[in-house]
Amino acid sequence: MSIEHGVFVEKYDLLGCIQCGRCTGGCPVTARTPLNVRRFVYDAVDDDRLEALSEQPEIWDCTTCNTCAIRCPKGLEPFEVLLGLRAMRAEEGNIEPTARDALESMFNNGNPWGKPAAKRVDWMEGIEGVDKVRILEPGEKADVLIHTCCTAVYDPRIMPLAKNLVRVLEAAGVDYGFIGVDEKHCGSEARRLGEEGLFEYFDEENTELFGSYEVNRLVTLSPHCFNTFKNEYTNLSIPVQHYTQLVAELIEDKKLKLSKEIGSQVVFHDPCYLGKKNLVFDEPRYILGQIPGIETAEFFRSKERSLCCEGGGGKMWVESESKEQRLAETRIADAEALGAKIVAVACPFCLLTLEDALKARGLEEEMRVADILELLGESL
Amino acid sequence: MSDIFVLAEHRQGELREVTLELLTLAGELGGNVVAVLLGSGVDDFATKIAGYADKVMVVDDPMFANFNAMAYQAALVELIKKDKPGLVLVGNTSQGVDLVGSLAVELEVPFTTDAVAVSMEGDKPVVTRQYYGGKINGTINFKDADTYVVGVREAAIPAGEGGKSGEVTKVDNPVTAEITARKFLEYVEAAIGDVDITQSTLLVSIGRGIREDKNMPMIEELAGLMGADISGSRAVVDAGWLPTDRQVGISGKTVKPKLYLALGISGAFQHVTGMKGSDLIVAVNKDPDAPIFQYADFGIVNDLLKVVPALIDKLKEIKG
Amino acid sequence: MNIVVCVKQVPDTSDPDTEVHIDSSGKGVDQSKFSFVINDADNFAVEEAILLKEKHGGEVTVINIGPEGANQVIRMALAKGGDGAIRLGDDKFAYSDVVATARLLQSALKDIQYDLVLTGCLASDDGYGAVGVTLAQILGVPHAAYAKTVEVVDDKKLKVGRELEGGLMEMNEIELPCVLTIQTGGNEPRYASFKGIREASKKEIKVMDLAATGLAEDQVGEAGSVAVMTEYSVPEVGELAEMLEGDPAETAGKLGNILKEKGLV
Repeated sequence: MSIEHGVFVEKYDLLGCIQCGRCTGGCPVTARTPLNVRRFVYDAVDDDRLEALSEQPEIWDCTTCNTCAIRCPKGLEPFEVLLGLRAMRAEEGNIEPTARDALESMFNNGNPWGKPAAKRVDWMEGIEGVDKVRILEPGEKADVLIHTCCTAVYDPRIMPLAKNLVRVLEAAGVDYGFIGVDEKHCGSEARRLGEEGLFEYFDEENTELFGSYEVNRLVTLSPHCFNTFKNEYTNLSIPVQHYTQLVAELIEDKKLKLSKEIGSQVVFHDPCYLGKKNLVFDEPRYILGQIPGIETAEFFRSKERSLCCEGGGGKMWVESESKEQRLAETRIADAEALGAKIVAVACPFCLLTLEDALKARGLEEEMRVADILELLGESL
Repeated sequence: MSDIFVLAEHRQGELREVTLELLTLAGELGGNVVAVLLGSGVDDFATKIAGYADKVMVVDDPMFANFNAMAYQAALVELIKKDKPGLVLVGNTSQGVDLVGSLAVELEVPFTTDAVAVSMEGDKPVVTRQYYGGKINGTINFKDADTYVVGVREAAIPAGEGGKSGEVTKVDNPVTAEITARKFLEYVEAAIGDVDITQSTLLVSIGRGIREDKNMPMIEELAGLMGADISGSRAVVDAGWLPTDRQVGISGKTVKPKLYLALGISGAFQHVTGMKGSDLIVAVNKDPDAPIFQYADFGIVNDLLKVVPALIDKLKEIKG
Repeated sequence: MNIVVCVKQVPDTSDPDTEVHIDSSGKGVDQSKFSFVINDADNFAVEEAILLKEKHGGEVTVINIGPEGANQVIRMALAKGGDGAIRLGDDKFAYSDVVATARLLQSALKDIQYDLVLTGCLASDDGYGAVGVTLAQILGVPHAAYAKTVEVVDDKKLKVGRELEGGLMEMNEIELPCVLTIQTGGNEPRYASFKGIREASKKEIKVMDLAATGLAEDQVGEAGSVAVMTEYSVPEVGELAEMLEGDPAETAGKLGNILKEKGLV
């Protein structure tokens, strides 16, 4: 394929880079892969090199955690160069079979997991204390529109997050509504895998879908959906929140009563897409602080320095070649060192990767990983 | 009822079991069971088959030393035109699939494939087939004809004990011209060591329940006995007990074997996505709540380190 | 080498949770909850066609029998490298059996100079696995089913590897023109990007109705069929896992017997 001269330079402001190296210096995956994002920014200036750069396997190691962007003194986003290289591969159809399968499933089934679109709301059965989950018809009004997340609706391990969200909404008397069977992938992972065209498709489809309701705000379960709707959709006018922001409000307004005690030391792991990408650090901590019996601890690497769990950036579908210890295991080791009993998260990908790491380290008896929604559910 | 032709299937000096299954079926349907054996130097087969047929028609010719769909078709067309059987049964195998449609069209008779059940309504076969991956069944209605050709799925009908004593007749090869448009060259075995688990028919798959590398030899022995390949979850690949190309799951390979034996695998969603297309899933796990049991056809709640040695013994016993 | 590849659009039943409901007629299923995709084996056939084109030149024509919605799979094949496409679309084609289907494909082929026709070995909805072989007979050309490897020997013949039970490969030489039904797993189908499919939408898909095929009404659809599926039924199916009880020796014993019964050991 042909690249017009200077395309990457213009798109990513590559000439603004002063090659200071703060990006690579903070990049968490350098602990286990040869990825050198500073080098990619430098090399991508030369259009003739782009093809060869796109063939390098390290471009798939990036988790898009945003550390490089947060650290860049020039306000650049180095990881976007890597996504641009992925886009070159995706457009040619030259991507890993696992990425191909996820993308084809996104288009055919509206989710990356190969699950039938018709089964999108099966998770709504059997929620404790809830007869029926409210699903909005087109044109209907509600205060809050919920976008559940493909992982929450299909992965049995993540369904409890969605179910507890419903219990919280009901308990707090929120005027909420779910989308139902027409709910589709937000497009975040399509874009992370390099499929710009497919992302634009979801941008268009979902913007129209959300617009068909009369709602005041859109609330998501996953920080990835949150980030994409809030920052990447081109024409979405509805305000977007992550559930931690809504729940913090509800607690502050005294609409949600948390009565049961969870007597444990809890350490909160900042999801990259909530924290580093969108600077939402306080609300999850506030919520945890309001749960009776919880003692909170902080990781040494917390907030802007949170260690990525390697669930984002399409990593759920594309493995690195590296055999070095996964970052999630390092994170669990950090939690163990702190003496924490619960690692709290607010993201389905963090939950899956950290729990996997917990099992790999054989610590299931000593600790558990739980989403804040699960802790809320236990405390209601 | 008139004759029922059953095409015998053999390869590399072995008579395939499907032959006896179809002969058993033909016997159950009534009518005169005529086994049709095309081969070169296949007297042993003829003797074995005679126990399941009323007549064994043998065409012994070097042309049939190895399977060639065109040669088979040319012979069968002549034999069928001559004898006019009411029903022709062929195994729905790599041989049968290569043959049934073209044979039936050349004869201008109705046919269907992959029958899982066959019965007769007068002179007409009633065939049951599976649709949508076995989620529903369907019944086939044929246009009236004097002969029907039906491809029957392997292992759909159990082979009986035989109990017949068919007359073995050698027939001249009705195919006079050499078949040139298609020529058999050779058989090539799958390369050893180069396993592509996405193509495996049988998989023994291991998870964290394996506990240690030193438990691998029993898994290898089990897989060897079964003729199965070994695959695993991401956890065992991370631990270095299996190479990356053996990983089953959303970030690994998608497999669709006839048998997926999941040992010590919990059944996390990301793993199951890679093996949900398996025909038969058997799970062994200590934890009765392991999600794998939601997807398995058969389950054993027990420590795989105890079940595997017992299974090895049982398989040795079966194989005699 | 000019290649024709036949593609079918089928409901996606790859996930075991997919529900299939028989409709009120008894001979159809409720389509409303399905996602539609290219038949898996046909996807491998498309890739094989494109790989052969990339290596040996020539043109790839994509043929489909289906309604307008099937344009999606045709465009995907065009995006991967197909040059032209024909869709046989007419209500009268519905309920065609293997023979009527092959007859329809033949009618689309009559004006094409082809060297090789590829189909998938099996469709995931009806699973007959017979259209390619039947088509070959109607066309009067040789064929091979379950082809996994295809090599061009010269402009008159191919070396084809058929995959047999157990993974054994049967190597054959076949004269061109011929029909091959392609087994899954012989190649790695490429990804057709969203933008690529949109670009491919600019290529014309020639639509043929009954009149264009030159066939009579009693040669297509149910009227043109010799083996018709008349009635669906729901098989008896166990929902949950059957748990084998007992100590390790007992459960292993039971399992061994089950595997033996199913012809797996």
